[in-house]
Amino acid sequence: MIRTSGLTKRVSTSEGELTILEDVDLHIENGERVAIVGASGSGKSTLLGLMAGLDTATSGEIWLHGRQLSAMDEEQRALLRAQAVGFVFQTFQLLPSLTALENVMLPIELKGDAGAGAGEKARGLLDRVGLADRWHHYPNQLSGGEQQRVAIARAFATNAPILFADEPTGNLDTATGGKVIDILFELNREFDTTLVLVTHDERLAHQCDRMIKLAAGRIAGEESSVEAVHA
Amino acid sequence: MPEASSLHSLFTVAWRLMWRDWRGGELRLLFFALVLAVTSVTGIALFTDRLERALLLESANMLAADRVLHSPEPPPAEINAEAVRRGFRTASTLSFTSMAFSDTGNMLVAAKAVSDAYPLRGEVITTMEPFTRGAPVGHGPPPGEVWLESRVLPALDLAVGDRVFVGETELTLGAVIIAEPDRGQGGIVDNAGPRLMLHMDDVAATNVIQLGSRVSYRSLFSHDDFDRLDEFEQWVRDRFEGNYYIRDVREESEEVAEALDRAEGYLLLGSLFAVLLAGLAIALGARRYSERHYDYVAILKTLGCTSRRISSIYLLIQLQLAAMAVLLGSGLGYLVHEGILRALRASLQVDLPPPGAQPYLVGAMTAFVCLLAFALPPLLALRETPPLRVLRKDLTQTRFSDRIPYAFGIAGSIFLILWYSQDLVLTSLLVLGVAGTGLLLSLVSLLFLASSGSAGMKAGNAWKLAMTAVRRRRRQNVLQVMVFAVTIMSLLILGLLRTDLIADWQAQLPEDTPNLFMMNVTGAQVQDIEAFFAENEVDANAFYPLVSARVRTVNGADPEPAEEALDGEGGGSLLENNQLEPADTADAAAGSGESADGEGRRVRGRLSRRQVTWSNELPPDNRITLGEWWGDASRPGFVSIDEEYADWLDLEIGDILEFEINQQFVSAEIASFRSVRWDNMQPNFFIIFSPGTIDHLGATFLSTVRLETGQKLLLNDLIRQFPTIVVVEIDALIEQIQTIISQVTSALELIFALVLVAGALVLLACVSASLDERFHENAILRTLGAGRKLILSSLLIEFSFIGAVAGVIATLGAEGGLFYLQEQVFEQEFQLHYWVWLAGPALGTAIIAALGINSTRKVVHTSPLTVLRRVI
Ligand SMILES: Nc1ncnc2c1ncn2[C@@H]1O[C@H](COP(=O)(O)OP(=O)(O)OP(=O)(O)O)[C@@H](O)[C@H]1O
Ligand SMILES: [Mg+2]
Repeated sequence: MIRTSGLTKRVSTSEGELTILEDVDLHIENGERVAIVGASGSGKSTLLGLMAGLDTATSGEIWLHGRQLSAMDEEQRALLRAQAVGFVFQTFQLLPSLTALENVMLPIELKGDAGAGAGEKARGLLDRVGLADRWHHYPNQLSGGEQQRVAIARAFATNAPILFADEPTGNLDTATGGKVIDILFELNREFDTTLVLVTHDERLAHQCDRMIKLAAGRIAGEESSVEAVHA
Repeated sequence: MPEASSLHSLFTVAWRLMWRDWRGGELRLLFFALVLAVTSVTGIALFTDRLERALLLESANMLAADRVLHSPEPPPAEINAEAVRRGFRTASTLSFTSMAFSDTGNMLVAAKAVSDAYPLRGEVITTMEPFTRGAPVGHGPPPGEVWLESRVLPALDLAVGDRVFVGETELTLGAVIIAEPDRGQGGIVDNAGPRLMLHMDDVAATNVIQLGSRVSYRSLFSHDDFDRLDEFEQWVRDRFEGNYYIRDVREESEEVAEALDRAEGYLLLGSLFAVLLAGLAIALGARRYSERHYDYVAILKTLGCTSRRISSIYLLIQLQLAAMAVLLGSGLGYLVHEGILRALRASLQVDLPPPGAQPYLVGAMTAFVCLLAFALPPLLALRETPPLRVLRKDLTQTRFSDRIPYAFGIAGSIFLILWYSQDLVLTSLLVLGVAGTGLLLSLVSLLFLASSGSAGMKAGNAWKLAMTAVRRRRRQNVLQVMVFAVTIMSLLILGLLRTDLIADWQAQLPEDTPNLFMMNVTGAQVQDIEAFFAENEVDANAFYPLVSARVRTVNGADPEPAEEALDGEGGGSLLENNQLEPADTADAAAGSGESADGEGRRVRGRLSRRQVTWSNELPPDNRITLGEWWGDASRPGFVSIDEEYADWLDLEIGDILEFEINQQFVSAEIASFRSVRWDNMQPNFFIIFSPGTIDHLGATFLSTVRLETGQKLLLNDLIRQFPTIVVVEIDALIEQIQTIISQVTSALELIFALVLVAGALVLLACVSASLDERFHENAILRTLGAGRKLILSSLLIEFSFIGAVAGVIATLGAEGGLFYLQEQVFEQEFQLHYWVWLAGPALGTAIIAALGINSTRKVVHTSPLTVLRRVI
């Protein structure tokens, strides 16, 4: 469960204070798939970062996985991330010096579950995203779509109950993006994770249970996807 | 999660990241810098450790022992007994002047009786035929035998096996003596005349030693453990409260002491520079490495890695790296020092004691300190990277990384300097100097770089591109210029210092250094002797009158010598060591005479009699430091004083000194102070009068001459014609000093080479540190249509410009540093090196441009796509 109330983010720039998010209240249930949509610069990534505990709010409250983020320091938030959160980013964010397999194993090892189990699990996941035979390749030997699939495998490696995705298809062509999204949704269903998906792709947003519209840092509206309800 | 498995997994991650970074080449520079630091420190420590021993051993040959005790009467038996108790090897010698008779003639000889164990160090070289090469033997003559120097044989018409009479006893000529290790040592009785060596047991029978005879006892001590020698020295000092001194070669010979001191100073400086340069390379490598790892850390953080664990991971990587660097560096350090020693071994001819563990420890410690000071701060600063960076690339942290690393680096450098030099004063001076220079240099380089913009505008495209780049990267470039400048400066300083030191040593003992001192020459003999040498085509040097004088009063009051200067022990010249030797020997005559003892040591007995002279001309190697030299327009009644002596008595120009000379009192006004070069083996004087002041008080004369080996027989004629003069040969001493100096010289060269490698590494590190950005920028430029040639020439201009600025700054810094080092530490006279003012900037430009172009060639030959595809 994710909940925010009165969430506000301001940054000071050379031209004075800039309000990126203002008074955002939202509620995301366990297992729910929510799309955050809005124009470029509307504050989507900022909101995602705040909810995931990658950044701190100027004011307002955030609850993530039953914990209040504003009461935690960066170290505690990191531990919470290790337990409960997985990420997929627009720019993939794989470690370039590690192979696909090692990238997927990394969060498991960081959690302290090193050993043979980690390798097996990572291989299984790579198999699921269709890269079983590419496990020993480095990121720069993989195409963008393949890199993103590795990133998805990594996001599910620790069975995190919540998955944040920031424009996972933003760097991919439509066809590849579609495939990547299919895999993401498939694994999401399989692991029964909460999914928060930032996108400006309306079609993609409609595949989610719910769509939250951001405009200039405020919630401009919500709609439930009929399509998803019937799925 | 269980702690153990968590640690294990941390280790796995750290190991894997390190291994992969290594493969990618990112860690290699850092690693090599660490290896270099360990290698140079271990190598130099091993080398100095063993070289110091080797040089001491070699120079011990000059004494025929490690330590020597002089005395005019037999030393207390207790000293020898204690030495034996302590496991020392001991021997004794007794020198006296005597006549040797053959059936056909007689000759004044410098007799030396030696015990069985003589010599403890070095070898006596003997032969059966005079004037042949001879072979080394490890002992002196057995009882019943005498050994004679070559030139005695023709003079007395002797051959090996003939009878020789010394005093009341008859001995057999057993061998011809070509060389003895401690020939240059001792007082005038050791050196007045050709050598006659006999066994200690035969001395009594000769009956030449009577009460009041001029004799000189020397007790020789030797031990392989250098610390034990020092302990023994201390024991004698405590036990006899200054009545007896044990001396080592440094106290016996200023030339050797200075060569060793300077060599040690240079080695220290060399290892300091090597480590600091390696430290710089480490810092640059670590910085670059950490810059490349911001993204890693951000990703790791989104994956739930806490800052603590990030620190642990990078700490582990560094420790693994350091462990490997220590292993490899120690090995390489051993090889380096082995190589150096092998090169030297031919001339050393001694088996060196194996090195201890200390040098390895020092090397490992250095790696650790370097890491702590130079590498860890930027790496630990990584932990501050905000995880949000995965969403916004431009986010970095500046809170920690910008200033702390410098503070750490500076603290680390200070610690290293202090640790190596063990000298707080030197350290603080060096630190202040470097800080001042650094500040000045950064200002200068900032100015230079700031002015670059306008200069470039009119020029062509590549020029414009380069200058814009220079300006745009001004901040990094100031850093880069500083690093280049410091590196080139270090190399210039060490290179020039090395050249100057070697030149100085060569000047100290030039080819035509006189090897013969003539003393006790009467005024009437001067012309005849000059005529004698002219006849035989030998260049004689000037004759100095010698009178023994004592300072009675200063401005009518008792002289008050400074306390601390009197602390010196040992003391007196080689000739004055011989306390029975009356005033007719000279400070001057000592050749290495006064110079035989160091600064403080020289002072002892200054208030007692000094050999003084008068002259119209300033002796060579003397320099007036205050007041004026009288020159040809001299008037009687003036005196010129050695500046240290003047300091010691707190004298001023214009003071009136009253001297006692031959029971008469003479006053003179101080006209000038001089600096005197005591190590040049020439006649030197504390006190010089203007002509006419003391001429009437009865003087003997002293002069020096150089006799080539082939002219040595002239000595016999000289002595036959002028039987009253005293002739002292110092060939052996000169030769031994030259040997030591040449060894020290090769040591300097090797250290310099090592520092050169360190410098090269820094330059490389610095160039590659700026590569990443250039890569990206130039890839973009190329996608925008810029040609390779344009980019290459723009890079060439940019690097040349940076190199030139660095070269100018380095030259400035090097001359400043040298001024300080030479005047304060190495006691040399500083002179500007004009050619460096051209060579420095030229060198900077050439090296940096070449290095830069070489490493950035990749920039233009990698396809832009590859560069741009390197996401993250
Ligand atoms: N640290 C910051 N300093 C200044 N401005 C910021 C900062 N972070 C975000 N912004 C600004 O806040 C606004 C929202 O940024 P955000 O990245 O959340 O937008 P977004 O909705 O994700 O846009 P896009 O769809 O283009 O990714 C932008 O105008 C951005 O420039
Ligand atoms: Mg965004």
